[in-house]
Amino acid sequence: MTAPILRAQDVTMIFGGLTALSEVSLTLDRGQIVGLIGPNGAGKTTFFNCLTGLYTPSKGQVLLNGRQLPSDPAQVTIAGIARTFQNIRLFPNMTAVENVMVGRHARMKQGPIATIFRGPRFRKGENEARDRAKELLAFAGIGRAGDELARNLPYGDQRRLEIARALATDPQVLLLDEPTAGMNPQETEATRQLIFKIRDLGVSVVVIEHDTKFIFGLCDHVSVLVQGKLLVEGPPEVVRNDPHVIEAYLGKPPEEVQAEVQHAAELLGGHDKGVNQ
Amino acid sequence: MTTLLQQLVYGLILGGTVGLIALGYTMVYGIVQLINFAHGEIFMVGAFGALATFTWVIPEGVKGTWYITLPLMVIAGAVVSMVLALIIERLAYKPLRNAPRLAPLITALGVSVALKEAVRLWYPGATAPLPFPKAFLAGNIDIGPVVFPKTGLLLIVVTIVLTTLLQIYINKSRMGRAMRATAQDPDVARLMGINPDRTIVLTFAIGAVLAGVAGVLYGIHLTNISIDIGFQNGIFAFTAAVLGGIGSIRGAVIGGFIIGLVKTIAGQYLPGGTQYDYVWIFVVLIAVLVFRPQGLFGETERVRA
Amino acid sequence: MTKTFLSPPIARILGIAGAVLAIVAAMLPWTTFVLNKGAWPDKATLQFFDAPFALTGFRWELFLVGIVALVCSVVKVPAQRRVLRGLGFGVAAIGLVNFLFITAEGGGLGAVTAADGASAFGSVAALVAGGLLILGTFGQPLEEIPRWKTNLPTPVEYLGLLVSFAVLLYVVSLTLTAGGQGGAANPYSGPMFLSFLGFGGGLMAAAAGLGILRWISKLSEKHRAFSIIVLLLCAFLLPFTNAGTEYWMTVAANIGVYAATAIGLNIVVGLAGLLDLGYVAFLGIGAFVAANLSGAAASSLGIHLPFYLVVIISAAIAGIFGAVVGSPTLRVRGDYLAIVTLAFGEIFQIAARNNIGGLTGGSNSIPNIPPLQWFDGTAYNESITLFGTPLPSGVLYYFLIVVLIAAVMAVFANLKNSRMGRAWIAIREDEDAARAMGIKTGKAKILAFLCGAVLAGIAGAVFAHKTSTVGYESFLFMESVTLLAAVILGGMGSIPGAVLGASLLFVLPEKLRAFSDYRLLIFGLALILIMRFRPQGLIPDRHRRAELAGEDAEGHTLAETPGDEPEQPRPQEVPAR
Repeated sequence: MTAPILRAQDVTMIFGGLTALSEVSLTLDRGQIVGLIGPNGAGKTTFFNCLTGLYTPSKGQVLLNGRQLPSDPAQVTIAGIARTFQNIRLFPNMTAVENVMVGRHARMKQGPIATIFRGPRFRKGENEARDRAKELLAFAGIGRAGDELARNLPYGDQRRLEIARALATDPQVLLLDEPTAGMNPQETEATRQLIFKIRDLGVSVVVIEHDTKFIFGLCDHVSVLVQGKLLVEGPPEVVRNDPHVIEAYLGKPPEEVQAEVQHAAELLGGHDKGVNQ
Repeated sequence: MTTLLQQLVYGLILGGTVGLIALGYTMVYGIVQLINFAHGEIFMVGAFGALATFTWVIPEGVKGTWYITLPLMVIAGAVVSMVLALIIERLAYKPLRNAPRLAPLITALGVSVALKEAVRLWYPGATAPLPFPKAFLAGNIDIGPVVFPKTGLLLIVVTIVLTTLLQIYINKSRMGRAMRATAQDPDVARLMGINPDRTIVLTFAIGAVLAGVAGVLYGIHLTNISIDIGFQNGIFAFTAAVLGGIGSIRGAVIGGFIIGLVKTIAGQYLPGGTQYDYVWIFVVLIAVLVFRPQGLFGETERVRA
Repeated sequence: MTKTFLSPPIARILGIAGAVLAIVAAMLPWTTFVLNKGAWPDKATLQFFDAPFALTGFRWELFLVGIVALVCSVVKVPAQRRVLRGLGFGVAAIGLVNFLFITAEGGGLGAVTAADGASAFGSVAALVAGGLLILGTFGQPLEEIPRWKTNLPTPVEYLGLLVSFAVLLYVVSLTLTAGGQGGAANPYSGPMFLSFLGFGGGLMAAAAGLGILRWISKLSEKHRAFSIIVLLLCAFLLPFTNAGTEYWMTVAANIGVYAATAIGLNIVVGLAGLLDLGYVAFLGIGAFVAANLSGAAASSLGIHLPFYLVVIISAAIAGIFGAVVGSPTLRVRGDYLAIVTLAFGEIFQIAARNNIGGLTGGSNSIPNIPPLQWFDGTAYNESITLFGTPLPSGVLYYFLIVVLIAAVMAVFANLKNSRMGRAWIAIREDEDAARAMGIKTGKAKILAFLCGAVLAGIAGAVFAHKTSTVGYESFLFMESVTLLAAVILGGMGSIPGAVLGASLLFVLPEKLRAFSDYRLLIFGLALILIMRFRPQGLIPDRHRRAELAGEDAEGHTLAETPGDEPEQPRPQEVPAR
């Protein structure tokens, strides 16, 4: 058993008296897909922001390969954690290929002087980056969209482009913030397959999602955040049937829930999209 | 010692002007996040409006009677500034309300340039500094060896009175509440039944009235005005608003006084003298923006895009 | 989007009527009185404006546009309505310019209608004709711009490019000389020039509607090296055309300096999206450094270095200041940063005004900067003979500046299409996302300021020698605003845009000497109008600036409301149209 690639220990985030996260821990093994679910305002995105250096946790620490993460998003990306955003944040007026090439930024080396004079080494680096970008677009299933401006892409393709862009940074860990938000069932399924493919590349993945069915069908391990606290964690089968989770999602007191566990579990397994909304 | 006190007096007088203008910057920026470059020119146009009223509207006979002339000029300056600001808001800024932030900023720059040029081209004689009447408030109050011009005293008193009134209005009145709510979050304010457009218009209007009053009092104090007073005092006022903390009424005025003091004291005591006194204001501006962008009285920086 | 409030047949008739009326208008008298019996009798008298059929100047231009419009409205041409609308705006522009000018100079509406028993409805007719032509295009929606084949045999494509650029050279030469030299001797220079712009603009718009401009730009992208060589050749040939007089060479060189500077500013504003309101200071720093190292008698240093060293030193010093001015970007964002740059610009100006360290000459400027010398000792401001053609003085500076612009353009293009340029554009588009991609945004932004400043510093060094006098008055806030206006007018991030913007903003005042007083007023109004109606500029960059033309108004920051997560899927926030 190798050491976990990413380990968050007792991450606590306090915003001026308001505790957004309280002692949340998470462990991610190499090649694992971990899901993070929880109702609105549970602190999922805040937790992501702590993992990517956008916020510095008030307490606790995040270790990548046993090393403490720097507190600057750019450095975190260079260290090997890439992310996507909940409400897609592409560079709308750049083409798809260029978007992905921006992702290569930290892995390229040309300085301004080389850029101005464009020697053979510059060209080589530039071509490599372009080829890699095209490869990643094809990998994400939008190979044909390379020369489109990002903002002209259909919604689903924009989500895929964001993933391709994140992959371009050669991450060891990929954080996906609601990758299927607003998608139809077919697109959701395609995204699931894409995430499996990413896992097969050797990239470990953390996914935030509302769609519990999606999460349970995808992840090796699921953590449930409620009101900034880690409620339950474990394999999907365990979490799915946990009364606390059902309570958090359905908002009923535990004793009543107990009686309805069976029914609710079915519900979560089936049409659960609207449950938390 | 006398020199220092005298410079302090001059600093406070300049500070009063700057503070009055700064109120407009701070309110507008607080509510629509726009650096209203044109605000300095609105101050300038207010002064010219009052001068025009004095020159062409007020009858010869009463020009010497200060209790008629002075209020009329102040009202004229305030009205001219306000009308102008409302026109600008409607025609130039409002269509860009939802545009990206660089667009209104560049527009404000354009408005500022156009206003200054319009006055230079079309106000008779404005290509050179124009004399401004002061006869009705001549003289100084002597406090020991220190000279306190009456016009300057008027400026400071008016600044403090207006600021206090404004502070009360914003804290206590219904419209004041609406303004604060809109500054916090226009969308939520709209949900609460506040009309953000009206609130924004009111903000521009109040800021412009204060700038117009400042323009008139500034003219009376210095006894001449030129088209250049807008840009320069505008920058000072913006500095004051940032120094005091954008959105803070009290901060803007205190910032204004600090700026006034910095300029006069620096002109007197720092290397370079009066030739470089402006530089120190710009240095203060840069230092504040870099090291304490929330200003002296601002809340801890509200993080916004 | 286009409204279609006319039935097609009526629209068609209106179009034909407009074209005919434009031709008629060209032959009508244009004024009821003698405008000028003085210095320019053959050009500026009643005959010029009223004699029918003697078509010269703008009437000849109007006549041509009218004929083209008539042909295009009768014969079936591709993208007919686009073409006609372009021509219509051209006709209306010619009409409007002369209507306003003659009215203003002639003392009222009588001058363009009927007075003293004479009648002259030329400009009114032209205005109506333009209106009819435009109106006639509202019968049906506008067509797609046609796409022409770009896979012809290479020689044919080369020929096409050659012809296009030759036409471009001719147009530039015509434009520069149109209306003649402005000034007291020739009060008609302004309106003649503007009429020509209306004429040229109308034909350009028609060509764009036909897809010809797009075809040329596609071809030139395909044969990049060839195009650049031909363009450079054209630029070098300009002095051999009608524009080859000392006056026009000076004007062209001045435009060139500002165009080069504007391209530098374009790195900061157009690529990285950082508003710099004190940019002209870097031009000033370059110029003052060069002035002090040129051996000018007025310089207190008394150093004389070879020009290439001077350029390097100017660039380096400007670059250092650029990095300093840019360093607050580490902590200051958005419009606060604009204010910081403004403050730095003002500090520079005050320092230069007060002759800081004896380096700027204060209000005396630094005069008598010696001209550059060619290798054989020919001073750059002497006239020379090339290929048997005598060329006016100043032409060497013109050549130097062509080289300068070419170099600056190359640098800009190379930076833009690179790791660095993509990082800048990414920062402009979404700073937080850029950081999440591993871009060290602070460093990148300072680098943008540095690069922009270096280019301005180089331009400044050339500027100092070309103008031979450097004083602080050349580097005021208004100059920064003008440069910014040039960049915005042309189209942010676009190289041809910056050149066009700089040309317009610096040629127009030259041509419109009579209106020079209104220059800044027009700048101010232009800024407002552009932001309102065409924020992407005249020649928009392919990456059209989201910041200005975009639809996503509020940049959402991750840290906006800590702890509160709006987690509903929000398809409406997708930055797609």
